[in-house]
Amino acid sequence: MSRQANRGTESKKMSSELFTLTYGALVTQLCKDYENDEDVNKQLDRMGYNIGVRLIEDFLARSNVGRCHDFRETADVIAKVAFKMYLGITPSITNWSPAGDEFSLILENNPLVDFVELPDNHSALIYSNLLCGVLRGALEMVQMAVEAKFVQDTLKGDGVTEIRMRFIRRIEDNLPAGEE
Amino acid sequence: MAVCIAVIAKENYPLYIRSTPTENELKFHYMVHTSLDVVDEKISAMGKALVDQRELYLGLLYPTEDYKVYGYVTNSKVKFVMVVDSSNTALRDNEIRSMFRKLHNSYTDVMCNPFYNPGDRIQSRAFDTMVTSMMVQVC
Repeated sequence: MSRQANRGTESKKMSSELFTLTYGALVTQLCKDYENDEDVNKQLDRMGYNIGVRLIEDFLARSNVGRCHDFRETADVIAKVAFKMYLGITPSITNWSPAGDEFSLILENNPLVDFVELPDNHSALIYSNLLCGVLRGALEMVQMAVEAKFVQDTLKGDGVTEIRMRFIRRIEDNLPAGEE
Repeated sequence: MAVCIAVIAKENYPLYIRSTPTENELKFHYMVHTSLDVVDEKISAMGKALVDQRELYLGLLYPTEDYKVYGYVTNSKVKFVMVVDSSNTALRDNEIRSMFRKLHNSYTDVMCNPFYNPGDRIQSRAFDTMVTSMMVQVC
């Protein structure tokens, strides 16, 4: 009990510049290692997935969030609790599909791209694709198969950054999720 | 406002140089090139005093008949040079200083761009936009 309380109050702040520059170094190194942007995007998603399957444990331990009863509640938790906790931003939730299985996260500002200007030879690069992998991996660990992808990006000249989330199915498989 | 703005690397080669109007470009390049001697002179002359004061602004490097040339040097020895029309008497020292500070902030943002290789020429839309706002508006 006391350990749980300590964990909840533990501060894990780091300099936002260090975080942004570290992620930037990661992406540029991947750009050097792989031949094309599509491979870099896949690798960022893969890395994000491996972060997400671990991060969800930390999130559930610290946030006191109970079980979500529908996808709308999940969306609220992602935007208001998870993004706030780990990135210091609160995206807005819009563009729900009529069936309630799709929505968009609008990021007014994305801390990952603070200093970034994409060169012309990386027009297909999805710079923050790690976030999509994190979301997919984290939700998979709570039995939700989702698809997450960037549909708008300020680095590409759009006005906002938009992540489109789509619920695929509830995962009934009781076997532990392995790494990709 | 400025008619020419240049960013010079530690090893004294240009990282960025922009002038307006462009037909006088060569004259401004020559002016900036000449000013580097004065910059080095000022740095060595101020010596320890410069370091103690943490003063980056070098002030007026030299006047010519038509233009004034101002300098600014960062702690990492990157030099900024700004050429201003002499007829622009409204431009005060404080304004030149704040323009240089703005230029310095923009330069640090360029350095923090993970796709920018230190030592390469600066090709940054944000930096270009900021420099444009400090240049003379062509009619």
